[in-house]
Amino acid sequence: MAPAKGHFTILYFAAAASFTARSTDELPAPVQACSLFAQLEERYPGITLKVLSSCAVTVNLEYIDIDEDDGLTIKEGDEVAIIPPVSSG
Amino acid sequence: MTTTEPETYVPDLPPNPVTRTTSTIHVELTPHILDSLSVTKFVRSPSAGATVLFIGTTRDSFNNQPVSSLAYTSYTPLAITTLYSIAETILSKHDLTKIAIVHKLGECPIGEESILIAVSSPHRQAAWRAGEEALEETKKRAEIWKLERFEGGDGIWRANRDGTMGVKVEDGKKEAV
Repeated sequence: MAPAKGHFTILYFAAAASFTARSTDELPAPVQACSLFAQLEERYPGITLKVLSSCAVTVNLEYIDIDEDDGLTIKEGDEVAIIPPVSSG
Repeated sequence: MTTTEPETYVPDLPPNPVTRTTSTIHVELTPHILDSLSVTKFVRSPSAGATVLFIGTTRDSFNNQPVSSLAYTSYTPLAITTLYSIAETILSKHDLTKIAIVHKLGECPIGEESILIAVSSPHRQAAWRAGEEALEETKKRAEIWKLERFEGGDGIWRANRDGTMGVKVEDGKKEAV
């Protein structure tokens, strides 16, 4: 489902979903990728240390480097996902 | 003590299998019981003298702690893309005839199949090696998560990469254990 105008969707899985107690949020766009974790910390105090520090991030199904992709902007309608360490098998 | 993933936790999962299939590759995420015969039939071929099938089943304990139930969840569109990419790479690297990777989503009763990997190749050495590599790559990369619930209480999101207890699910907060 497309997010509301001026927003992007963020998906939480596994430990991230447990911490936020939800599977998705709609957050205001645009936002600099490098400030995403700070925004999540504001909304969910403690999440950076407990969860995000071991997570990867995707934007529209592509992995981004949250520290290196300095100029990257998350735009309206994007689908961002927080990817904790995986455990298939 | 409450957990955010209580025994009634229903993982978010597709109602029907999600697949990507070509003539030589089949990858699938499914809420249904896994069918090892159908993946074997998919990969076997008159040009392949060897078919290797790996069946992963869910264990009843972790570090001697009894596990009462398990559930898998995934970021399905990304996980299917990742599985396909793994299959494509391994097919070409080991000159396989065909390859199939199928993973269970949702509740998986103890002792039942959670993953199937089937590969076929002209000769057995390549098939053995490719099967193992496909499994290791899948465990390392596929965007799938296992929730283990222990008898008498908490749920743990497992993490393959460290082989430790992972993250304890409790009161909406996580404690490393």
